[in-house]
Amino acid sequence: MTKKRVVVVDDSYFSIVLIKDILEKNGFEVVGQASSLEEVISVVSDSKPDIVTMDVTMPDTDGFQCTKEVHKIDKNIKVIMISAMMDEEMLKKAKEHNVDAYVQKPIDEDNLILAINRIMEDKEQFKTFQNLYLPVFKEAFADALNKMTKTIPNFIDEHLSNDLLKSKGISVVVGIIGKYSGRMILDMSIETATILSSKALRRETNNSNEVMAVIGEFTNIVSGNACSILNRQNKVLGLRVSPPSIFSGDSLTVSSVKFKTFLVKINTDFGEMVLNIGFSDGDAQWM
Amino acid sequence: MDVKYINPFLTSFKNVMPQIGFEKVEKGKININEGELITDGVLIIVGIVGDLKGNVIYSLTTEDAKKIASKMMMGMEVAEFDEMAQSAISELSNMLTANASIEFSIMDININISTPTLMYGSNIKTKFNTPKLLCIELLVDNIPIEINIAIN
Repeated sequence: MTKKRVVVVDDSYFSIVLIKDILEKNGFEVVGQASSLEEVISVVSDSKPDIVTMDVTMPDTDGFQCTKEVHKIDKNIKVIMISAMMDEEMLKKAKEHNVDAYVQKPIDEDNLILAINRIMEDKEQFKTFQNLYLPVFKEAFADALNKMTKTIPNFIDEHLSNDLLKSKGISVVVGIIGKYSGRMILDMSIETATILSSKALRRETNNSNEVMAVIGEFTNIVSGNACSILNRQNKVLGLRVSPPSIFSGDSLTVSSVKFKTFLVKINTDFGEMVLNIGFSDGDAQWM
Repeated sequence: MDVKYINPFLTSFKNVMPQIGFEKVEKGKININEGELITDGVLIIVGIVGDLKGNVIYSLTTEDAKKIASKMMMGMEVAEFDEMAQSAISELSNMLTANASIEFSIMDININISTPTLMYGSNIKTKFNTPKLLCIELLVDNIPIEINIAIN
């Protein structure tokens, strides 16, 4: 992988040296530095960096104005704001100026590198992730099912596509937020959900609230465990899950037009289920 | 359920909707729902984590979704709620929620949002993780869009 190229903008010599050292130690190439608006424009135009680290307070200009100029040169350059000040007003202003990440001074090496890695849109990295996450989700599903029901699922088919998911009756949706944003859906018939719930509760149930609660929690466990495993493998991911929402209805269809998702067909002792997982390669979430 | 969650969405609609060609955004009915939600048409689910945790679910009829998609596609006729229209509506809900998240940050509430999941069907029952649900109806050039907020 080629080294990412960085320009450091700061009016303090101490900060420039510090940031430069951290970046070089972590495999980045510092291709320039600037301490005024004029320098920012000339250095960024000449060196065409991937990333600019941006101080906020500078004489005769500020980090926001400089960010605007950087994006005029190339809107794909990632800007990381580094400032002693960090409050909601600054964060709002940073978002409005399309700043990609915000790191507070004094600079913590791990924080800065993590912030940079999180925002770098690396197609290779996403491809690697795309090949990595499915086995983890399948394992988390098998493990949760086994712990709750003492049964073993059989994964029969999987493919990555933009295909619609026609619900068998109930769809449980969990949003996933982190370096990559996505969703996990577990879909099954009402009958399957009812039998699974009875088995998990170790008694008969026909109460739809109970059934919904069980499959909601089951989906929560699968998605939460899978994301924890992925986070341990690579802490850059920082994946978190939103609480499950449960949908049922007539001819319920789930669209997948915005990004490709995996549809995994699973045979269980309780009937067929479909596990649907996808992540978008779009902009990473802000911090 | 805190009613202060209403304003970030109202503001985000007022910020975003004019950008895609709508003129007025008005507040409609607001109520607090207990139990489940029953809707027809299109639902878009956006997950939230951070200082708040939960889901926001936008609900509108298929006909209205087609009208909005058409406006977003420069007035192009949308006869079917097809992939193009689904994509437009997904994108809109993403823009609206992202914009609302900026409004939340002004209130010192920092949230991150998931990619939207779009579903459609009829007689859709939705069950949330929260006991109560804040439902806000906003009228966008008289087209009603319901925002259902289930946040802990």
